[in-house]
Amino acid sequence: MLKSKVVLITGSSRGIGKAILERFAVESFDIIACSNKKNKIHIEYCKRLSKKNKIKIYPLFFNFNSKDEINEGVENIKKLNVKINYLINNAGIITTSSFQMTKESDLNEIFKVNFLNQFYFTQHISKMMIRTDGSKGIVNISSSSGLDNDTGRSVYSASKASMISISSTLSKELSAFKIRVNTIAPGLIETDMMRNNTKEEYIEKMLNRVSLKRIGKPEEIANVVFFLCSDLSSYINGQTIRVDGGMH
Amino acid sequence: MSNLENYKKAFLSSFPIKEEQLEKLEYNQIDEWDSIGHMGLMSELEEKFKITLSTDDIVDFSSFQKGKKILKKYKINI
Repeated sequence: MLKSKVVLITGSSRGIGKAILERFAVESFDIIACSNKKNKIHIEYCKRLSKKNKIKIYPLFFNFNSKDEINEGVENIKKLNVKINYLINNAGIITTSSFQMTKESDLNEIFKVNFLNQFYFTQHISKMMIRTDGSKGIVNISSSSGLDNDTGRSVYSASKASMISISSTLSKELSAFKIRVNTIAPGLIETDMMRNNTKEEYIEKMLNRVSLKRIGKPEEIANVVFFLCSDLSSYINGQTIRVDGGMH
Repeated sequence: MSNLENYKKAFLSSFPIKEEQLEKLEYNQIDEWDSIGHMGLMSELEEKFKITLSTDDIVDFSSFQKGKKILKKYKINI
């Protein structure tokens, strides 16, 4: 019997992460489903998804704003004794404020969660992935803000731009171990996080810049993540792919 | 297999060297023990000894001998 491939997804309990979880479940991957808070509904959901698709899903909980929790998370991942093929760094937080109105605490928090601890976590997981046979890769979920540097999103944009930068470096360093590293920069996507942090007038303004004139669905990001983790993309490395409906 | 044998095996499977070279082996002394080779070695040691090395220890791991001292911190006596 062929061994299933294993994907580790962070921020898997909602929004884009949940759509990625569902996509890989349908594709018969075993999944390490990480999210920040212990959540019974999510655990039950993972059980149902696992049964339906005849796969293993391991829900794990740790918060990216705490290095101690990440360390504990890494140890729990090691205890699973599985070989990880793909890492999807999707966890992230957002804040909206103009440059002069940005508090130092927000600056620190956003960079800690969206960049510094992603860096730290990836150091650990990529070391484990070195020993995995077969196809393997990392997909970092950045944002179109990381490329367009939207007004009112200075810290968020900078943190997401940092992920694009580190992905490019990693794609070069990890290629020695046949680990491909790519980034996705989603545009306006229909998630709770987007709705809770974006004013309606801003959404309208953004939509005017989208050729397709609609908000994207989380599944449309998940499809591209899956593509980047399949052999269909075996020669794609170190790239940032915008999935934004044609934003201009 | 003893800890020393496991330790040596990690080096021998990471780099194309002979066992006699190990005692005096240092980082960057051979082409293969560069920063990329170092990652492979650290990954091998973590797997063999079921430990998670801190980044500081990975950076300090500059020779075969220094590595023995570092592993002591993780209760691996070589």
